[in-house]
Parts: sequence; C-alpha cells; structure tokens
Amino acid sequence: MTHKKLLNLTFWRGVLLVIFAGGIYSSVLRFAGGLGNSTALSDEFPWGLWVGFDVLCGVAVAAGGFTISAVVYIFNIERFKPIIRPTILTAFLGYVLVIVGLLFDLGQPLRIWHPLVMWNPHSVMFEVAWCVMFYTTVLFLEFSPMLFERLRLGRPLKVIHAITIPLVILGVILSMLHQSSLGSLYLIVPAKLHPLWYSPLLPIYFFISAIALGCAMTIFESFLSYRAFGKHLELGLLSELGKVIVVVLTVFLVLRLQDLAGRNALGLVLQSSYESRMYLAEVLMGIIGPILLLLIPKVRNSHSGLFVASVLVVLGFIMNRLNVSITGMEASAGRSYFPTWTELSVTFMIVAAGFLLFGLAVKYLPVFPPEVRIHQGLQDEPREMVPNLIPRSLLLGSKAVLATGALIVLAAVSLSYSGLRYRSVSLQGVAEQARMVDIMNALKYYQMAPDIVFAQAESSPGKVVLRHSTHVDSAQPNCTICHIKAFRILRNPQAKEASVLSGDMHDEHRCGSCHNGQKAFSVKDDCTLCHSSE
Amino acid sequence: MNQKNKKGILFDSTRCIGCGACYEACKERNHLPKTVENFLDDELSDKTYSTVKSRNGHFLRRFCMHCEVPTCASVCPVAALEKTELGPVVYHSDRCIGCRYCIQACPFNIPKYEWTKRTPLVRKCDLCSDRLLAGQRTACAEVCPTGATTFGGRDFLIAEARRRFRSSPGRYLERIYGLEEVGGTDVLLLADISFESLGLRTDLSKQPLPLLTWNVLQKIPNFVTVGGVLLGGIWWITNRRDEVRLAERRTQGS
Repeated sequence: MTHKKLLNLTFWRGVLLVIFAGGIYSSVLRFAGGLGNSTALSDEFPWGLWVGFDVLCGVAVAAGGFTISAVVYIFNIERFKPIIRPTILTAFLGYVLVIVGLLFDLGQPLRIWHPLVMWNPHSVMFEVAWCVMFYTTVLFLEFSPMLFERLRLGRPLKVIHAITIPLVILGVILSMLHQSSLGSLYLIVPAKLHPLWYSPLLPIYFFISAIALGCAMTIFESFLSYRAFGKHLELGLLSELGKVIVVVLTVFLVLRLQDLAGRNALGLVLQSSYESRMYLAEVLMGIIGPILLLLIPKVRNSHSGLFVASVLVVLGFIMNRLNVSITGMEASAGRSYFPTWTELSVTFMIVAAGFLLFGLAVKYLPVFPPEVRIHQGLQDEPREMVPNLIPRSLLLGSKAVLATGALIVLAAVSLSYSGLRYRSVSLQGVAEQARMVDIMNALKYYQMAPDIVFAQAESSPGKVVLRHSTHVDSAQPNCTICHIKAFRILRNPQAKEASVLSGDMHDEHRCGSCHNGQKAFSVKDDCTLCHSSE
Repeated sequence: MNQKNKKGILFDSTRCIGCGACYEACKERNHLPKTVENFLDDELSDKTYSTVKSRNGHFLRRFCMHCEVPTCASVCPVAALEKTELGPVVYHSDRCIGCRYCIQACPFNIPKYEWTKRTPLVRKCDLCSDRLLAGQRTACAEVCPTGATTFGGRDFLIAEARRRFRSSPGRYLERIYGLEEVGGTDVLLLADISFESLGLRTDLSKQPLPLLTWNVLQKIPNFVTVGGVLLGGIWWITNRRDEVRLAERRTQGS
C-alpha cells in the first residue's frame, strides 16, 4: 500500500519534484561557485533575499508557537489546546529551515558554531545567533512529545511533561528576544535605511508584527491541513485568533503612524516615490485590508473570510520584511537589488521543504488529536488533492470576500508596480561633471623623491642612477606609471643599496617597459645614456 | 584605552596632487593585484583597500576611517573585528563566519567581501597595524610626496589641522571631518570645499552608532529575569485559580 502510494505522481508531487530539482541545482551553483557567482549580492547590497525572506520571515513563522503556548500553558486558557501542536510544529520547522537558509547565506557556513565560543555581547547578530540555537533546542523539546508518543516512549515523555512550564516560559522569552532582535539588527543603520521604515521602535515593530503573522499562519495552516488531510477545523478558535489579529494589527498601525508623525516623516508617505508606493502597498495589504475584513463578524466567522484575511496578513508581512531589508536600503546603496533565479529557487526549495515536512509530520505523528478526524482526505483519494487544496467555500460562496481580497492584492501590486517606475529614476545618480583638478596650490608641497643609485652588476658597463626629476612630469606627477609591481615604492629597511630588483633590468617589465624606443629611447640604444662611465 | 597613544592619519585634500603613490604603496604592502589601468578609476574592493578619487575638482582618498567606536566591531557576532589600542581596526579572519553585518552596518561603506571566493573573507585597510607595532608609519603616509597624507598621534593631527587653519586663513573649510562623526574617527579629513561635494556623508550623528543597539541589548538580562518571574507568576496564579475552582466544585459535589 505504502509502496504504491510512493509511486503515485500527483500534480503537487510533480511541482515539489521540479522545485527540489531546481533548488538542488542552485545549491550546487552556490557552494561550488561562491556567493558572488550565484547571487545578486554585492558590496553595496550584502544582504538580499536569503536574509530578507528566509531568515526574517522564517523566524516570524514561529511566532504562533510561543503565542499559543503562552496562552495555553501560562494563561491556562485551555480551549486553545487543540491548535497548540500544529503551531509548535510550524515553529520548529520554521527554525530548522532558518538554519538551512543561514547555511546558504553565510560566507563560511562551516563556522556557524563560532558564536558559541567566540563572544561579542555588543552585537545584535550575536544575540540572534544565540536565540536561534537556544530556541531551536527548546522548540525541539516542545515538539518531542509528538515523537515520543508515536514511538511509545513513556519515560522521556514524562520528563518533558514535568518540565513543560519552565520550557514554555524559556521559549516565550527567547522568542520575544529573537523576534525583536531581528528588528534591532537594523537599528544601527539610521543613515542607510529609508525613514519610512527606520525607527527606534524597530524591535517592537518586528515583535508585534510577528505575533500577527503567527496567528495568521495558524489560521492558514489549519485550513491547509483541513483541506489536504481532512483535519478538523476549530473555526471558533480561529475566528478568535482573527479578533486577536485585528487588535495586534491596529496597535501596529497606530504605533507606526504615530512614530512617523513624531519623526516628521508622515509627509514621506504621500510623496510620489518608490519607497512611498511600496510602503502604502505594504500597509494596505498587510494591515488595513485584514483589519477591515476581520472587523466584520460575518467575514471573521466564515471559512473564506478567515482564509483570505490570513493570506493578506502573510503577504503584507513578507512585504514588510522585504521592504525593510531590500526596498528601504536601495536608495542609500545607490543600486537596486533583485534576486537571481538561484536565490529564488533555493528559497522555493526551503519553503517547499517546509510544506513537505509539515505534511509528513501531520501524516505520521500525532499532531492533531486523532478523535476529531471527521473526514478522510488525501490518504484514500490522492487524485482529489488538487481541487481539495482550494477551500471549497472559496469556490462556491463568499464571492464578495474573495473579490475584496483579490482587489486589495491587486491594489497593492499596482501600487508597487507604479513605485518601481520611480525607482529607476531615483537610482540614476546625477552624473558628475568631469573637471580637471587644479593642483597648482598642492604642488607647492611636492617633494621630489631622491635619486636612486642602483648597485652595479659585474657585466654592467657602468653605474645607473635613476633621477626622479627626469622621470616625473612635474606638472602632473603620476607615481603609478613606474611603481607597479617591479619597482617597489616602499622602502626596504634591510637593503643598503637599491639593488632591489632581480632579473634583467632591461626587460619589458622593468626599464624596458618604457625604454622600448616608442615611449622613450630604447635600452638597446647608447648604453651611456643610463650607464655612466665614471 | 590610552587615548594618547592613538595613531591616525590626517588627509588634507588641498595638498593632494593625485600622484597615486599612496594607492600603489597600499597595493604593495598588502600584496594586492593590479585592478585597473588608471588608478583614479578604481573603487574600494577586496583587491583595493585605498583609493584616490577625483571629485568636483578635488582629490579625495577613501579608506577605512578607523572609528573610535567602530560600528563594524560592534556588530560582528564573533568579534572578528577589533579596535586595537594603537588605533587600527583590525580583522581576525579566522573568526569570521561571513554574515556580512559589518559591510551592511559600516557608515562609510568600507569593508568589502571576496564575493568570488568559495571561502570568502572581509577585506579592508588595517592602518598597517604591523608597521605601527614596529614603530613605522603607514605605507601610504611614508610615500606621500606632498604631506597630503600625514601620519601621527590623533591629538597631534588635530592640532596640526588647526595650525593649518590658522596659518592659511580662508584656505580651508575650517572643519575636520572625522573629529565628531559617529563619535570620532582616527582618520581625519580636511578640504576647501564642502564635504558633501566630495561625496562624504555629513548627516552622520555625533554619537557612536553602536550605542543605538547597545541601548537595547543591555536591557536583555533584566528582560529575561523580570520576564521569567512575571510569566512564572502568571502561571502560578492562573493554575492556582483552576485548582481552587476544581476543589470548590469537588466540595460542592460532596
């Protein structure tokens, strides 16, 4: 039975296969060719898609885990218990994939352990590194009961249960630190990040928006599990999460607007610029749109309404992180950034791996309580998977919600698109007029280097003295004409005489490079021109 | 850190004749390959740690500013970049993990990466720290034929800059770039036209940038302890409430 299922190639399996093939090929390119040959990264743009999406968004996906576990274990609101395991699973997978993403992004991935032993507590990146390591461990422990139950290991299960509360508290604190620290990363670039996104409140923004995303991801993946695996949908709970999203996003919006106003940057929003368009698109899609949708009880309590709103939150969130990490940095970098297909395909592979692992875990581990299985999905009818992935409610009813959602996305896309046209203009630097430099004044300070007496070889017809005065254009001295490689410019403290050079002085790398009969008289001409007879 | 021992460079663009001696000396000292035909066209890269640019009719050198409180050293998670006592900000390549936060964070866009290498490292000027330890000047200062690049103690260089302001009134802008920028740098620049027109950022704050993140980071220990106690307390209360409720129900039932 299992064997037969493996061979069954459905549409989505085909898609996965293509994504993985592309991703693996790109991985080879990345690790064999280096970052410069496989990515659009450069000295002007050292952080791209892998930081902006794989790390900044990947970590935030885990926010549902700590939010829900705090609600259930710390605040003892037990009714959220049915959704705690899928959120923990998402969080754990999110962190594992962030580490995978980091291995791609780091220039020296084999040294990823260095922050463990080489400390710099002044660095936000150090905090980030420690949070990743600690919280991945905590998440694994929180996830482990699913494994232990499946493997029927009673002993370790007991141990984990005994330390649940300290574990959850540790997890919540680490997660809060980590979410905010990703925002703190950008606190140190006040002169580089565009004022629409730079704010002293960045750590708080990153934390708040991560909570909204965590809730939205919980809704999103519940729907996917419901459709793909026939898992029970806790609609009541999810609609409550919808309410939480409204509150969190409203706080986020008010804080951001107030902060913009406080920094006299509110006017920037209405300016016609690349950044303002991207900002508006982000706020419309990720904040205002979902708030308006979820405020309506009818929408909040419907399958399609919740689904559409959560998708908007996720898209808007991704846009926010990319705006901070890419859009907002482009003007100061003086160049635009767009990921190469290698960067894109690695990212697709990582996301696909997330979906695949989540699916496998749901299938083989007790992620959802078994008794609430109400109908059979994928397992018996794999061919129905394609239509199944789109919620039926979206296809039949609630057309208004779907239309509104599509409209919002469309508006955001067209805003961003119109913004992109401003980008090409704003990034074209003003061409500097080539002007001759007046060095008359500076030349007063010019001190010609002394003459150099070369040591005489046995076969030499006479000593050679190099006079800087006859070799340098005193109106426009250029030392690099001779002082390239062969003629050292730095004094050698050991050498008493300027014997410095090995090999034949006459060859085309040394005196002969100019004394070739074209630039200056040839070394084959009269020897006494250089070799004095005295 | 002993401020008196701090060494630095004073670059006076009014004395620079664009001869390229500093450019060549830097290449030689660091064993860097030739990158361009005309050195004035070269940009900072993993193969060029010091450039001479012609901007608005003036020559300007660009190389590491060797900040008093370096942003790069602050952001590096593994302390691969370090401000040494003599002044140079040096790089311990064996520590670097390649996160490129230094490149992202440097307010002067100095550190450059070996993008084409399979195990890349960060590259930048180290103020010839080995020469300094041996009591020598930097390579660029040693070869400069006009004194546009002057090496010395930071305090001496500031005094020298002010002396030049006094002795040639009206010639200079009478501002030392690097005196206060991001908390001060050990490389100081003089010019007779505005620093903006030389392509330098003049909107940098006077406070060292690492303070921006340190203000947040230093709160972590308190956050962890207070947060832990708070969450534990909340759990204790809510848990206790449930226990009491259960117990009451039990007594009512019996």
